[in-house]
Amino acid sequence: MHEATLAENILNIALDAAEKNHATKIFKVGLTLGEMAGVEVEALTLSFDVLKKNSPAEDAALVINRVPLSATCNKCGKNFRLEHYNFFCPECDGILILQSGRELLVDFVDCE
Amino acid sequence: MNLEVKLMKNILGANDEIATQNRKIFSERGVVVMNLMGSPGSGKTTLLEKTLALLADKIKIAVIEGDLFTAKDAERIERAGVDVIQINTAGGCHLDAPMIQKACAALDLDAIDLLIVENVGNLVCPAEFDIGENFKAVVLSITEGDDKPLKYPLIFKESEVTLLNKIDLLPFTNFDLRAACEDLTTLHPTIKIFETSCTTGAGLGEWAEWLLGKAAR
Repeated sequence: MHEATLAENILNIALDAAEKNHATKIFKVGLTLGEMAGVEVEALTLSFDVLKKNSPAEDAALVINRVPLSATCNKCGKNFRLEHYNFFCPECDGILILQSGRELLVDFVDCE
Repeated sequence: MNLEVKLMKNILGANDEIATQNRKIFSERGVVVMNLMGSPGSGKTTLLEKTLALLADKIKIAVIEGDLFTAKDAERIERAGVDVIQINTAGGCHLDAPMIQKACAALDLDAIDLLIVENVGNLVCPAEFDIGENFKAVVLSITEGDDKPLKYPLIFKESEVTLLNKIDLLPFTNFDLRAACEDLTTLHPTIKIFETSCTTGAGLGEWAEWLLGKAAR
């Protein structure tokens, strides 16, 4: 349940951004989460909803953009969408290096 | 008026910043750090005891023990004659970089070659938190089942080495060793795999030798 820690960090980042922009109310917090980021979205949302109470983010919703796993072969240089966590290149004997799918980002904060 | 503030900020940025500081300090002081992870009951502490017995006269080792509430593991490690710091996470499911930074203040890093951090027993959360280690190791015991690498891919992807522990129990389970090794390798083609048993001593010599090589780097 490290989602509680993540939710706390997300809230702090959002509150900080709102304050810096002299906003008093947050409507949306945009996240980019990789498919292999190890995040359970339901647990994250639940934690965020508990933590945001009595803050400028009280009515804020999380807008989540999931990023699929993609990788590049270290030999032939081709890009692949990863399926079943197979990191062997399907076209040569190279190894796939992860390019996306581990993201854990706060993209934007929509506030006023 | 609505304002959209673009951030692109790492959610774990605060942790990662301290992990980078930790890593810099470890490197300056010549300490190699292993983050030892695995499920509760996979045998991390027993493996650690056996490892310390094999390496304690060759290199100077210290241990940081992560535990939810107790000092039971730290007491076991202390008996091996090694400096040990206990971190109680009070229910927290993982260790993070600030916890390690704080614990290290109580260690004489200059006198240590290898620092082993035994994380909280958990196959999910510890994988997500960089503590400033040089490498991660994950213990998977035979009784947990051969499906774990694909069910918990992140921890096996992040770990440089996997210990298939309690290998002596293999004949009593339906654990498919070949399938497990195949899954581990497809997920992480360069992963190093050891088959160990703390009951029979199988594989412990090779494991200790490998770890010694990492520490003497």
